[in-house]
Amino acid sequence: MKLLTHNMLTSHVKGVTKGYPLLIKATEVKVNEVEFNPQFVSRMIPKLEWSALVQAAEEDLPGELVADYETNEEFLKKVHRILLEVEVLEGCLQCPESGREFPISRGIPNMLLNEDEA
Amino acid sequence: MSSQEDESAGGGSEPAEPSSSPSTEIGTTSGDIITVTIGATVPTGFEHTAAEEIKEKIGVDARISKDRGRVFFPITTDKLFQVHLLRSVDNLFVVVEEYHHYQFKESKEETLMELQQLASTLPWTNALEVWKQNGTLKKKKGHRRGGNTAKSKPNCEGVGGSMASTEQQELPQENSAPEGWAGDTQAMETSTQDSDETGHGSKLIKFRVTCNRAGDKHSFSSNEAARDFGGAVQEFFQWKADMTKFDIEVLLNIHNEEVVIGIALTEESLHRRNISHFGPTTLRSTLCYGMLRLCKPQASDIILDPMCGTGAIPLEGAIEFNHSFYVAGDNNDMAVNRTVNNICHIQKRRADKGSMSGLPIDTVQWDLCSLPIRTSSVDIIITDMPFGKRMGSRKKNWDLYPSCLREMARVCRPGSGKAVLLTQDKKCFSKAISRMGGLWRKQHTVWVNVGGLHAGVYLLKRTGAVFVKLEDAFCVCLQFTSELILNWLQI
Repeated sequence: MKLLTHNMLTSHVKGVTKGYPLLIKATEVKVNEVEFNPQFVSRMIPKLEWSALVQAAEEDLPGELVADYETNEEFLKKVHRILLEVEVLEGCLQCPESGREFPISRGIPNMLLNEDEA
Repeated sequence: MSSQEDESAGGGSEPAEPSSSPSTEIGTTSGDIITVTIGATVPTGFEHTAAEEIKEKIGVDARISKDRGRVFFPITTDKLFQVHLLRSVDNLFVVVEEYHHYQFKESKEETLMELQQLASTLPWTNALEVWKQNGTLKKKKGHRRGGNTAKSKPNCEGVGGSMASTEQQELPQENSAPEGWAGDTQAMETSTQDSDETGHGSKLIKFRVTCNRAGDKHSFSSNEAARDFGGAVQEFFQWKADMTKFDIEVLLNIHNEEVVIGIALTEESLHRRNISHFGPTTLRSTLCYGMLRLCKPQASDIILDPMCGTGAIPLEGAIEFNHSFYVAGDNNDMAVNRTVNNICHIQKRRADKGSMSGLPIDTVQWDLCSLPIRTSSVDIIITDMPFGKRMGSRKKNWDLYPSCLREMARVCRPGSGKAVLLTQDKKCFSKAISRMGGLWRKQHTVWVNVGGLHAGVYLLKRTGAVFVKLEDAFCVCLQFTSELILNWLQI
């Protein structure tokens, strides 16, 4: 699971209103090289929930976006790495409200709910 | 279309009258740049998409043939390698000759005799030169690009002489009957080796003829045409006929009055290029590419396939339109695992070639009627919906389609979002859309043929209407009404 995907995932357990963002508990992480495209990164940033990314990244990403980040290549490269290159292979995602854990195996988060949770 | 269609292949048996040795020696004119016409088979319905891609990557205008699923375009031999960059074509061949209004003789005997005589008069030289150059290109590229050797099953048993119709494939079947040359997986595996070894021209050339015939006014069958034409070709070139281990595949395409003779440039259909781990209904990559082109992915678009199966569509996207990000999802264990396997396979292939292996794609296991995705966060939804034939059922579709269309509308960005959905259950689909309360608007439909089934690829626009949950709508309504009453009471 890449962190870009994590930024979109939310808990949909019945009754939960604050199911975002999911807490990441990783036991195995991998870094994969992905071709850097500055336009991709700079156009993606406004689509993200920035605070959720900062929380998930555990790296020093600024809490607030700097003005003209579009031209700051070093910053974009950092975001690129966090969004696309870091992958959680094993672990789980936890719903912040209910505590329900969704396992991640082989990089695939299993978001299926049981019948009583749906 | 009430036409009889059949196809067969012949290796040639009856020699026609002895003819002089042809002057078409293979290996004479290399270095001269010549212009030839290339024919390409494409998934029916996506001829215009293919023409667009050809214009974009090769820079020429393609002609769409009346015989559906085929396009033709000119190319110079110095640009030949470009044809192998095309992602919307299944098979390629170089045209030897085209007749648009071929006048067949009255009787079968006369027609077949004429076909035999045709063989020695056709302008083979240029086409053979292109075939030769193409062989060199393929050697340079290395072994073929697909990855499905282990999984493909041989689909024709009877070999040699006349094969009675059809190579209806056992492979997850997307080819309909008229496409003759996509079959014969057995042939391609052995012939690749042979082609590499054959010094074109120095060893004895082996060939076969594949004939596709469609139309109800012909007095002969494809079998007979292949046999007689093949016989004449053999006599003319002194090649050896071989159904499975052939170097050259001559194509004889007869569609009503249109006759096209060509030489194949692709050994196996290019449509399985990305997938190594097949599922029960894997979509061919050329069809995936066509669907992706339809939605015109932009840089940083987030593209979801909520019922990805083996991941064919998002994977093709991650490779060909790699400035977007793809999330592939399915509820089925085997499906998500196969998707990850397919992704890993491609990444390994890329790593082996020395390029950066990572792809902008991720896989999640989810229930598409309750997607664990933030509202309005997705730009494009693209998927192959269960037809209700091989997967699911028609009855299930009546419940499934409305609920998944609602969920897709929820996660899709209002105003700018799009969806490209393939389905055969057109009735259920149209009804579900019309009941959606204006969340989706049909923009365009492409009619395609998938595994012999008539299906539609629907391009939808997500309207600006905001998605409101039923309970929320009720609350808003209630609040509004009560405010109104209070105001009235105060007057």
